[in-house]
Amino acid sequence: MPTVVLMDASLSMTRPVSLEGSEDFQRKNLAVHGLTMLFEHMATNYKLEFTALVAFSSLWELMVPFTRDYNTLQETLNNLEDFDKTCLEAALQGVSNVMQQEWGSGCPCQVVLVTDGSLGIGRGSLRHSLQTLKQRRDDKKFPLPFPFPSKLFIMCIANAEELQETDAMDNLEQLISLNEGDGQIFTMEGPLCLKSVQSMFGKLIDQAYSPFHAVLHCGNLSSDVQVFPRPEPMILDEEVDPIPKAVQTDLEIVGFIEIGDIASPPVISRHLVLPIAVNKEVDEVGTGNTDDVDEESSANQMAGKSPNFCVLLHGSLKVEGMVALVQLGPEWYGMLYSQADSKKKSNLMMSLFEPGPDPLPWLGKIAQLGPTSDAAENPYGEDDSKSPFPLQPKTKRSYAQNVTVWIKASGLQTDVQKILRNARKLPEKTQTFYKELNRLRKAALAFGFWELLKGVAELLERECTMLPDSAHPDAAFQLSHAAQQLRLASTGDSQQAAFDHNITPMLTDFSSGGDRM
Amino acid sequence: MKMFSVSHKTVFVVDHCPYMAESSRQQVECDILTKSRGQGVIPLAPISKSLWTCAVECSMEYCRILYDVYPAGKLVNYIVSDSEFHSLNTWRQEEQSTHELMSALAAVGPPNPQEDPECCSILHGLVAAVESLCSITEYQHESRTTLMETAERVANRGRIICLTNAKSDTHVRMLEDCVQETIQEQNKLAAGSDRLMPIQQCELVLVHVYPQGDDTLVSDRSKKEISSVLISEVHSVRAGRHLASKLNMLVQHHFDLASTTITNIPMKEEQHANTSANYDVELLHHRDAHIEFIKSGDLHMAGSTSRDSGLKETVTLKWCTPRTNSVGMDNNELHYCTGAFRMSPVDVNSRPSSCLTNFLLNGRSVLLEQPRKSGSKVISHMLSSHGGEIFLHVLNSTRSTLEDPPSISEGCGGRVTDYRITDFGEFMRENRLTPFPESSSRDSAGKTPSERAKAQLERHTRYWPMIISQTTIFNMQAVVPLANLIVKESLTEEDVLTCQKTVYNLVDMERKNDPLPISTVGSRGKGPKRDEQYRIMWNELETLVKTHVNTSERHQRVLECISACRSKPAEEEDRKKRGRKREDKEDKAEKNGKDEEKSWQDSDRLKWAQDKEDQTESEIIKDSPDSPEPLNKKPRLTEEVQVPEKSKGPVSLLSMWTSRITTANSRKHQEFAGRITSVNNKAELYQNLKDENGMDTHENGKATR
Repeated sequence: MPTVVLMDASLSMTRPVSLEGSEDFQRKNLAVHGLTMLFEHMATNYKLEFTALVAFSSLWELMVPFTRDYNTLQETLNNLEDFDKTCLEAALQGVSNVMQQEWGSGCPCQVVLVTDGSLGIGRGSLRHSLQTLKQRRDDKKFPLPFPFPSKLFIMCIANAEELQETDAMDNLEQLISLNEGDGQIFTMEGPLCLKSVQSMFGKLIDQAYSPFHAVLHCGNLSSDVQVFPRPEPMILDEEVDPIPKAVQTDLEIVGFIEIGDIASPPVISRHLVLPIAVNKEVDEVGTGNTDDVDEESSANQMAGKSPNFCVLLHGSLKVEGMVALVQLGPEWYGMLYSQADSKKKSNLMMSLFEPGPDPLPWLGKIAQLGPTSDAAENPYGEDDSKSPFPLQPKTKRSYAQNVTVWIKASGLQTDVQKILRNARKLPEKTQTFYKELNRLRKAALAFGFWELLKGVAELLERECTMLPDSAHPDAAFQLSHAAQQLRLASTGDSQQAAFDHNITPMLTDFSSGGDRM
Repeated sequence: MKMFSVSHKTVFVVDHCPYMAESSRQQVECDILTKSRGQGVIPLAPISKSLWTCAVECSMEYCRILYDVYPAGKLVNYIVSDSEFHSLNTWRQEEQSTHELMSALAAVGPPNPQEDPECCSILHGLVAAVESLCSITEYQHESRTTLMETAERVANRGRIICLTNAKSDTHVRMLEDCVQETIQEQNKLAAGSDRLMPIQQCELVLVHVYPQGDDTLVSDRSKKEISSVLISEVHSVRAGRHLASKLNMLVQHHFDLASTTITNIPMKEEQHANTSANYDVELLHHRDAHIEFIKSGDLHMAGSTSRDSGLKETVTLKWCTPRTNSVGMDNNELHYCTGAFRMSPVDVNSRPSSCLTNFLLNGRSVLLEQPRKSGSKVISHMLSSHGGEIFLHVLNSTRSTLEDPPSISEGCGGRVTDYRITDFGEFMRENRLTPFPESSSRDSAGKTPSERAKAQLERHTRYWPMIISQTTIFNMQAVVPLANLIVKESLTEEDVLTCQKTVYNLVDMERKNDPLPISTVGSRGKGPKRDEQYRIMWNELETLVKTHVNTSERHQRVLECISACRSKPAEEEDRKKRGRKREDKEDKAEKNGKDEEKSWQDSDRLKWAQDKEDQTESEIIKDSPDSPEPLNKKPRLTEEVQVPEKSKGPVSLLSMWTSRITTANSRKHQEFAGRITSVNNKAELYQNLKDENGMDTHENGKATR
């Protein structure tokens, strides 16, 4: 989940913070200090996150495009210049553009807006933007909600009281609700100082950037893992029975399925599953990583040498072309598989299915999947030539069952021609002739299209008169029999018009006798 | 779309009054004469469909598309109205199919033009439609019963699509008023009933159908709120293809569908089999398959064009001919797919459509490309069938946030090179899943199939060393039969025999002094001596079997067999082993540091963690150099166990184990014949072995020579 840091570079950010007995700080310095802390945290504990830095005042600029290089981000942040007034709407539009250009509109994103809470005046101010919200034309819509799923974190270099004095707090709250409630406003507690800015960013880190640690189980085999990016909790069925769903920290493998059988299933998100050393101290946020770098790397080497289940699993999944079905929580499943990138580096990846008991129609209910050893005979066959998947649906779709549609004239013409073609090849084509005839008859009866039945009867009678001398005598009998049956059906009330009744070939001496000769 | 939106229930009300028997005046030429046969033949006069036929076939087409895209949960009740109403099906899921409806329609037949028009009215059908909307569907019922106290959250909404021939705008108003009044009446009734629900929202779609060439007497009107419950719209359409395209638009609109046209499909010509031309096929599916285009405002860039109807748009995607010709090859790739949507071809029985669908139904997948004027090609979708259903998969075509991750070889355990990859592959094949019917869903212990699958994984991994150098027995072909059987939930007599044979075979190997595939990694010189190798092998085998000993009495017998066949008396052996093992481990610890130690303990813990009940015992008998010799601690079950000949020295591991199990088992079964006939509680076991192999006999698990 990429992050965009949206940094207020307006003049008001340079307001000094008055504090006795300390150096002169600007709000901007506090903001930089907080962001430095965030970047440091990410560089150590969340290194795979892509982050971009956008600075804004009345204009906006992409200072650092999406990167995992936190040094560059830090450097650019340190050298940020001061500009004029705050104009948030344009900046949010900028974030929207930057995100979509890089990741498309389906990728979830976190926006960290750092501002002092003075949101501009007059045109371009947030107040003005919000007041004119309903008077927009389609091409000038307010950028929130973003087209992609997003969380908007607003870091105020100000305390709550200060913001409540003006309408800044209200405006910011309105911003969050415009983003469909996804996000939060953080304010500083107590005096504006380094300590309180640290505690504010500490809260953000805890909430949005703490690594997700879990244990992957396969029976008694297990491995500690980090799942990146963090799987976010979600709510299932918002109308009738809202059930909050979160991925559990115990990921349990249920069993294995061939890649061909799981067949590129739709997933809601993908995550790397990275084995981690069980040394718990390393995980603590931002501490203990300064002095003993050497020790850590040697610990890493050690961890590299002791066998880990993830590596074994990954290797076998890759070689066998299989996936592991994994349970993430009650009625929520995902799959583990080996994913190779362009550089031939491969990794253990986990994809999450839509929460629910039967996420994939071709697998059926996951709770109904059991071990092959329970089946009467091996469903994969003794030589692995079969598969119990995909599950067949109870009813066939229209395109799989030769339906009759006459909405276009060509559909009707084709069906009539098919019958006539077979009529000319009687008695060889007796079976196909009657099959097509019955198909047409059924549809005509259902559509109340009796005129067609009479028409086709007429055509068959004409064919009968036009039979060449060389024709088999059976042909004439069958044609007039079929025509007569169609006429009977077109009268409606008789037994002949029953939908399930089929016209059967007339039994003639020729047909049976002819076969024998 | 929400489960109980307006689209959950659709009532079709089709007019069956005499005037619907009138001709649509759209003529179909069904007698196409070829040139060679044309001479002297009078062609059949063109025929035309009645208004009724047009209404029925277009409504059937609506249902066909609906059922293709939503096989469950979106229901249709089809009502025909003349002098009374005829409901052709119910809300039950089993009655939701076009075949079912066609059969019922055939029974109704076309309208009777002779019937008295005064008795006939569409009103009968509309009243019945409102009543039908009040009756509860099985989905609503199920939802309400599972929710219990929050049952009121289950909504009751629905839509009525009425195909009729109205006389005037006033007539239309009258129909709307009638529906509105009926809703009010029915809602009152429904409030007091369990099987009925009041209608919260109803959409009335009135389609006035009139013959070609006539002037319409009814004007179109877009959605209008008649009351807080009823919203009504009026469409005035000529019968024939206009009606068809109107209903096609309505089904898209009502069920959030969108259209994709697959272009450039190569297809053999009917007449000239060796040439091929390119065709287009239009598909309908849920509009979320276009979500990326919609959100990014790219709908036009993605090649969308307006169709003849001029109202709905279609997105054009280009067919990419599959690379390989063999079925299945292209299925072994796992695409990053963000959605899969059922589809229905617009023109289902046209030749291009059926060629495409048959190709897919035969198991092939087709990638679809966004046509772009310039730049690289972008694959955005894939068509693929699963079990006779074709899905349009949405593939991710944007940059991945997970690019360039650290390779797995750089992480924990990444440097280890001798993982048992092939063995684990075999393990995965054995633990593949298969679907079980819901009727036989739970076994005797009340476990679902997936719980049984997990239980099997647990059994199969009780002892499963991850690397080759950690194991001896799994590197030996000779052990395979036993290793495969012992993990089973239950053993047959034959299985036990096979296990015993395996053990005898090992004994034989030991006697012949056959070499064992012991890893020499981490040991100095040539590695352990031959008898030491066998000792390690036997220990490991025992470890494996012990983890399953509580599964059944037969598993127990396999352990007994191993214990009996091991070359050395258990007690002496044990003592030696402890001494040596300590040395071994010290060596290892020096080399591999703390981690190794830890993993040893881990694997020990793992072996015993299965049975919580036994944990106290397992502490005592834990075979670890760190735990003190458990000499002074008495087993818990002392009062029931006959402690064998204490005076002869410390209690051995084996004897403790055996007596414990014996006690446990003796509660469950009849006393063994041997024990009943025993003298002083001593009976000679495995006499046969003695005869066959000249082995020592064991009594009560304690060796005597």
